[in-house]
Amino acid sequence: MQGRPLSTSPKLKALGMAAWAACAVAVVLALFVAREASADQGGPLQRIFYFHVPSAWVGYLCFAIVFIASIAYLRTGARRWDLLAHGAAEVGVVFVTLVLLTGPIWARPVWGTWWQWDARLTSAVVMWLTYLGYLFLRALAADPRTVGRLAAIVGIVGFINVPIVHFSVYWWRTLHPSGPTPANLADGSGLGGTELLAFFVSLGAFTLLGAWLLAWRVHAGQLADRVEELELAAELGPGPAVAVTPEPGMGT
Amino acid sequence: MSVAIPRREPSFLSKTWSLARKDIRIELRSRDTLPPMLAFSLVVVLLMAFSLPSGTIAVLPRSVPVGTVPSNDVLAGFLWVTVLFAGLVAFARTFENEREAAAMDPLLLVPLDRSGLFLAKALANLVYILTVQVFIVPTFLLLFQVKVGEGWPALILVIFLADLGFVAVGTLFAALAAQTTSRELMLPILALPMLVPVFIAAVELCSDLFAGQGFGQIAERGWFGILVGFDAIFAIVAAITFEFAIDP
Repeated sequence: MQGRPLSTSPKLKALGMAAWAACAVAVVLALFVAREASADQGGPLQRIFYFHVPSAWVGYLCFAIVFIASIAYLRTGARRWDLLAHGAAEVGVVFVTLVLLTGPIWARPVWGTWWQWDARLTSAVVMWLTYLGYLFLRALAADPRTVGRLAAIVGIVGFINVPIVHFSVYWWRTLHPSGPTPANLADGSGLGGTELLAFFVSLGAFTLLGAWLLAWRVHAGQLADRVEELELAAELGPGPAVAVTPEPGMGT
Repeated sequence: MSVAIPRREPSFLSKTWSLARKDIRIELRSRDTLPPMLAFSLVVVLLMAFSLPSGTIAVLPRSVPVGTVPSNDVLAGFLWVTVLFAGLVAFARTFENEREAAAMDPLLLVPLDRSGLFLAKALANLVYILTVQVFIVPTFLLLFQVKVGEGWPALILVIFLADLGFVAVGTLFAALAAQTTSRELMLPILALPMLVPVFIAAVELCSDLFAGQGFGQIAERGWFGILVGFDAIFAIVAAITFEFAIDP
């Protein structure tokens, strides 16, 4: 084949191996090395914190990448920025979905409820819906040539809105305290040396994992572009002449 | 025969206003957005009424026993859900005239900056939503026996400020949604999460007004800051990004 090799590049492979190795270390540290939290923090369940918070971090990071790549795409029109924004939105939605799933698992025994309309939770779910809308827009766009620009607008406007949503939801809840106000995850969890180590290793591992998934997504997008190019070339090329002419030895 | 050549090119604002007036005039002649929008909002109000337990409708917050939800909070939410739904249904039709008449290209040829085009479309949408509110808000207050008393100028201000942000976001996303295969669904999916701050601020302010508070009391609470900030930020961002939404 001409051009880029279609198999995984060595860099991508190395990134993947590093990510999975770091994840393995993070799992061991979080599940076996870190001390168990007090019962009011959920005891063993508190260990979900080591996966919940890094997921949130990667999610926010991805949405920041969508924002920057969207601006860059509108300014330059370069396809790679569009691929990056699209990939980052997908990876971000996956990680924020993890956040929204792991949170309630911890909250149910500790807060006594699966869900609280607290500022952090509410703004996370609004953000999740925003980027879900972004992905829907990409999926349902009528013209594939303009979809990148349309999506970029959502990527920019949506990200600008994140702090405003957070702020307004925070105000909304602080003005109307109803029911127990949940302590946020990091508060009072008594992170000592090993716990901090486990946390930061996990943070690094999730960042690598996110980067690896994003790189894969961009790579897959490039491959899809290439396939389209080749298909187009096949349609426009000599086509029938090549396809119809029997190769020597055929049909005899 | 001499052709009259205008000495000066019309200003940005006058061109913008002509475009908005064109949409409003088409609407006045065809009447295919406003009347259905009004009927739709009445239907939503009707459904809201069914979801209230009997007895809570007329209860004013001061007479509500401790522990029950004051109806002013719920009613303010109802009012704004109604407005947002009716508005989005109408905003989804922002480019319908151009689509039906295949007039998108002529529209883009108008010698006017894209931000002016955005402003024109947003202006027309603002006129639609305000017109519907002129009918629906008094009807709503009457049906649910809400007394705003001295607070009515503040109520008008809150509604107007919330509408500005709503129209800015709604018009921008209408341009995006119009280019998808299911625009009636795409517009709410895109716009509603974005409108959360406007919705919260409008509901909070209206709730206080429904509870009989005056402008002085609600002005202290800072929600006006959220509304004005949101309006300013999204009017600017939408006007800047709009060209990327409609240029072919």
